[in-house]
Amino acid sequence: MKKIVLITVAALSLLNCTNDFSSVVDFTDVENPTLSEQSVVGKPNSSAVWLNGIKRNNGFVFNEFLILAELGSDNYVNTETFFNQFLDNLEFQPADPDLRDATREVARLREMAIFGLETVGPADSEYTTAIEAEYNFYLGMAYLYSAMYFPALPQEPRGPMVASAQHYQDAIAQFDVAIGLNASETKYHLAKARANYYTGNKAAAVASANDALAIDRAFDNMVRYDAVAPDGVPDGTQSSNRFEDALYERSTFDDLQPLPTLDFLDPKYSYFTDEEDAPVHYLKAEEALLILAEANLADSNVPAAQANLTELLELIGTREVRAINDDIEGRTEDNPGSRPDSTIVVVNGRSGLVLNRHSGLIYIPSVSGTSLTASDIAGLTADDAGLELLYRTRQEVFIAEGLRFVDMGLKLIVDENEVLQNENISAGDLGTVALIPPFIDAIKTQLDAITYDAGTGVATTAVNVNEILVANKSSEFVLPFH
Amino acid sequence: MKTKLMWIAAPFLVLCMSFSFGQEKTVTGNVTDQNDLPLPGVSIVVVGTTNGTQTDFDGNYVIAASEGQVLRFSYLGQKTVQRTIGASSTIDVQMEDDAQALAEVIVTGQGSGIAKRKLSTTVDVLDSEEIDRLPSNQIDQMLQATAPSAQIRMSSGQPGTASIIRTRGPISAATSSTPVVIVDGVRVDNLNSNPSLGLDTGGANVSALADIPVESIERIEYIKGGAATTLYGADAANGVIQIITKKGKAGRSTAFFESRLGVIKATTDFLKYDRTAEALFAPGFSQEYRVGFSGGSEKVSYNFGGSLYKDDGFNKLNEQVRRTFTFGYNANVTDNFKYQGSFSFVSFDSNLDYNANVNFSRFSNFEGGSYGDLNAMTDAEWAAVRANSDEVGSLVDITSRTSRFTGSNKFIYDITSSIQANATVGIDYRTTTQENLQSNAFLVAIGAENPGTSNKAELARVIRNNFVVTGDLNLTHRAETDNFSFVTILGGQFFRTTDRQNRLDGSGGSDGTRRINFFPTQTASDYVLENANYGLYFLENVGLFDVAFLEFGGRLDRNTSAGSNTSPLLLPKVGLTYNISDHDFYRDSGISDIISTVRVRGNYGEATNFARPFSQDKTFELSPVLGQNAFSFANPGNDDLISETVKTTEFGVELGFFGNRLNFSGTRYKAITEDALFTPVKPPSEGSQNQIYNLGEVENKGWEFEMRAFVLQTPEHQLDLTVSYNTNENNVVDTGGAAPFVVGGFNVLGSVVAEGQSLGYLRGTAAIRQDDGSYSFETNSSLGKTFAPKFGTINLNYSYKDKVNFFVSGDYQYGGQITDLSFLLRHLSGIDNTGIPEDLVGTTSPFNYVNYFVFDNDFFKIRNIGATYNFGDVLKPFSSVKFGVTVTNPFNWTAGDFDPEATGSGIGAQNGFASGGFAYGTESAPRIFMSSLRFQF
Repeated sequence: MKKIVLITVAALSLLNCTNDFSSVVDFTDVENPTLSEQSVVGKPNSSAVWLNGIKRNNGFVFNEFLILAELGSDNYVNTETFFNQFLDNLEFQPADPDLRDATREVARLREMAIFGLETVGPADSEYTTAIEAEYNFYLGMAYLYSAMYFPALPQEPRGPMVASAQHYQDAIAQFDVAIGLNASETKYHLAKARANYYTGNKAAAVASANDALAIDRAFDNMVRYDAVAPDGVPDGTQSSNRFEDALYERSTFDDLQPLPTLDFLDPKYSYFTDEEDAPVHYLKAEEALLILAEANLADSNVPAAQANLTELLELIGTREVRAINDDIEGRTEDNPGSRPDSTIVVVNGRSGLVLNRHSGLIYIPSVSGTSLTASDIAGLTADDAGLELLYRTRQEVFIAEGLRFVDMGLKLIVDENEVLQNENISAGDLGTVALIPPFIDAIKTQLDAITYDAGTGVATTAVNVNEILVANKSSEFVLPFH
Repeated sequence: MKTKLMWIAAPFLVLCMSFSFGQEKTVTGNVTDQNDLPLPGVSIVVVGTTNGTQTDFDGNYVIAASEGQVLRFSYLGQKTVQRTIGASSTIDVQMEDDAQALAEVIVTGQGSGIAKRKLSTTVDVLDSEEIDRLPSNQIDQMLQATAPSAQIRMSSGQPGTASIIRTRGPISAATSSTPVVIVDGVRVDNLNSNPSLGLDTGGANVSALADIPVESIERIEYIKGGAATTLYGADAANGVIQIITKKGKAGRSTAFFESRLGVIKATTDFLKYDRTAEALFAPGFSQEYRVGFSGGSEKVSYNFGGSLYKDDGFNKLNEQVRRTFTFGYNANVTDNFKYQGSFSFVSFDSNLDYNANVNFSRFSNFEGGSYGDLNAMTDAEWAAVRANSDEVGSLVDITSRTSRFTGSNKFIYDITSSIQANATVGIDYRTTTQENLQSNAFLVAIGAENPGTSNKAELARVIRNNFVVTGDLNLTHRAETDNFSFVTILGGQFFRTTDRQNRLDGSGGSDGTRRINFFPTQTASDYVLENANYGLYFLENVGLFDVAFLEFGGRLDRNTSAGSNTSPLLLPKVGLTYNISDHDFYRDSGISDIISTVRVRGNYGEATNFARPFSQDKTFELSPVLGQNAFSFANPGNDDLISETVKTTEFGVELGFFGNRLNFSGTRYKAITEDALFTPVKPPSEGSQNQIYNLGEVENKGWEFEMRAFVLQTPEHQLDLTVSYNTNENNVVDTGGAAPFVVGGFNVLGSVVAEGQSLGYLRGTAAIRQDDGSYSFETNSSLGKTFAPKFGTINLNYSYKDKVNFFVSGDYQYGGQITDLSFLLRHLSGIDNTGIPEDLVGTTSPFNYVNYFVFDNDFFKIRNIGATYNFGDVLKPFSSVKFGVTVTNPFNWTAGDFDPEATGSGIGAQNGFASGGFAYGTESAPRIFMSSLRFQF
């Protein structure tokens, strides 16, 4: 009997041990340390953290679009191999992965905003209307980018093509929702103004621009970049400001070089702090003033336009100018003397536009800069000369912000991954083939071309794009108020 | 009537039987090899009858036979022995190795091993003699040119860098082609690329293959995939390299001391500019000292080996140090129970130079034309560049320190004379710390910061700990009847891998410290991969008349990297081998004097590769942004994710002529990768990260030929020559509708996966001259396959009276293409237009005529030439003194002016696909002149 008890006790204790011990010998137990959906949705403050992610993704959008848009415009030329190889000559290759990445980031911004609105926000006990407004704003921005940069783009995963005009309308509707929830954000009003501007809705654009300025006449909205956060979260993204890499950080590589007429504005982005990269100023008061000025010129109200531009000049005068040591980058490391790099250089008959980067610090506007002067404003006319001056100013103020490309009437295409895998899209559909204004197509290989005589210091751009834009102001592609 | 006849016959029959039984007796004995080790599975036949048996695990046999009859003992790889039965009932036989026979060995793996002649699959084997004479300490370099059907391509000459290893073509777009490496039954870390959080050195990375213990190796078996690897499960589709270490042998104890001294000299064969060599290279010196002790009794045997190695490289800044010791033992605990253990420790410290894809890599900048045409520089200009290069070189500070511990325990228990149980459990732990210190002085020297900068130093430290535990338990049953033999194996196996990486980055620091907390800004990141794989396996090998063997079995395989909707995979295999020349009628016929061996074989088997652990999960990510948390979508997840399955069918024949002095082996294989793991680009409208899916199909087919000739076979002279020739045709049959996607290289000139093309083929815009002299620019042109479809090895070995040995090994490939990226960069810099039509230069972007930068990747390289002289026992007390010299990489012939192997920048992701299609920016493997002196006690 004793023996039986002993065996029973031993067996029970062994069994007990075995149960508790299973984790010790379970070799199949693996744990993914990454976040699951349950860890994100339904947690307090998750909507605010999700919003931070959306803002961050907005930065990824700029990381992708700025390279394409600035190279595609006459602003910059790529002299190296690291960044996009096609857009400089306005080649739109269906297999160009930069096009893929740009559309993906816009789509991700949209999907993140929708996920915030539909899933994260409602499940968060700390969800606020301010956050909801922000979700709506960024959803509107996703539509706005789609409208600005593509003739047509799907609005949902593997969805049908939606034309640019519809995207503008959807963006405006989304901005209205945001404004309805929180009317105090300048960026909501200016984004709406921009959407109306590009659709040619002058009155609405003016109204929204004024609404924005009514809140703050010197407002500035920024896309901020973390300089040290890890890259590749999610895959294929870069936390820091990629355009800053192209302009400044890759130092000894020359990479992107500005049109000599814009030399004094480059690099807009440079070393900021160890922790933070230079921000992109993307919805700023200058844009509202320029919309107002253009509307007034279109209405032949020169004094009002002069007042707008004078305010613009005063505003720019208050914006930060950064002292930069650009000695290492210089202008042309590989091929000395090939590009203007001296203060004596005269570009298209104008002097003072080119800096010497090897004689100490240079001073570069980090928000807005312009060569526009008070006397230029005093001489403003409502004719083509006045419009050309206005477009030159837009080009200068918005350099490295991706707007010049849109002002030139240019659009990208969707890449082959969308065309091949999206059953709603066929090759040849709107948005799958390049749509270049004929007057730009004719000069597309000369957009960045210059002649430069280092001996005489005379530089000339092959074409004056502002002049060409104004000459074609009645085209549906450009100058939306005309 | 019937009944009556039976009654009459019965007494007669009984009489007859008792008469014949009266003449028979039971003969027993033991069969050993020439080292006195028992030989299991030796075939014993009473000549002239169908009566036969086999020896058991301990070499014992029992057979009934009559006095005067002849017993024939045969075992491939051993000389056949015949003994006439006399008065004694015990006949012990010691067999002798038959050098001329096919190199027949027992293939280890699951179970207790099966004679190679019973297997329908092929295995490349390297024995200890071949291994010991090779100068290399790296497993991949050892196999290079010695494994007849493997392509092993050294991607850089930097210390410890990864080679690209392939056998039967690229089977997967998702993983590297590196085989699984198993040491004494235990899987070891085989990471052959930069770890996920690894340092950004521009390309060349220290590979886990560099520190796999190679001392004290008894044998290396290279199993090439297909049916041969079915039972290994999980990720064995790329093949398995099995290392069996020495455990010592019963008998007199031996000891040796060996010193190896060498000179390492960079090869300048492939340089564009002599000045590159002048700036970067200086011959280095290598020293290695090895000791070994071995011995044992009938009960216990042991083997110890240790070595210390150091070299200071051919690049002025490289240095590597290696310290190892290995210990193996075998204990016959009881007559039935055996324990085998092995343990090894390797420490490997090295440093790297920047290469390839970093903008301050000196090698790629010199060769890629960043400084312009070096030949066109004046001496003064060059002196300035050189001074800067020297300064940068003195400040480069990239180090890697690895310690690896591998231990294996094997328990063998003979339950009965026909049933054996094997249990193996072991671990491999590899810990690596890599650091990259970019001091302020360095940043100033490379021009990234202005002179005087003192607060921008950066330190990156990556710590990777990889732990693998392997367990295996199986039963082997052997049975014999007169005409049939059966080997049955039933077992279960698991392994578990945990890869933990931590990376610390400090910035804004001062010079003179490597303490991360002295850097004002610090960031940390981590990366974890965990995977468990487990399966049950079964194998039956049926011998028919000891000439034909039918093999069938399979593995039920499961791993934790599969999605939740999936079931365990059943991987079947079946094979048949027929040793025609083992028939008595064949042996007795005259043909066997000419064609001494005829063996045909065929098999079908499935093997798998699993996806990166956790890639099946839907995940989110959290990133710190300016002091705040930010969520984002991460992996979309795939509940249906399962291992890709490679289904291989192969047929082969082995022929031996003139007493096996001339041997041919030919194999035709066809391997289809089904449910191939592709990570196609998602439609951008999904706004989602790409996800791995089972949606592709890849086909590989080809031939493997090997010829081995024993040209001279006299007591004094032995000369043998082995030549192999392999072909591979690779085709991506299906991409599941996905657009072509880039798996390496660049946007404008990429290594691409596309339907109807070879995996990772080169794609770019080609300029094609038209009849009217103009050019058409054809985008997305196929510019060739990156895997050379024809390749092979050549080995020559001569020995004289066991005194002198001379050997040469080399390998070759042709038929593939590769981009000369340095040339492309020189052309972009405007200093090299070689071969490019003048009317093309300057008219358009060079990216519109990338076909002019793509060349054949053909080469023939002699990898080793060596000679040894054995002084014998002239220097007593040493039983032998051996002196050897080897030259590594002495001769190269290539189709282009560059090295098609130096593709150091080819592997993107951890354990990712490597096409090797871009030659760029890193040094080729150096020339090494080495002498060795070995004293044996």
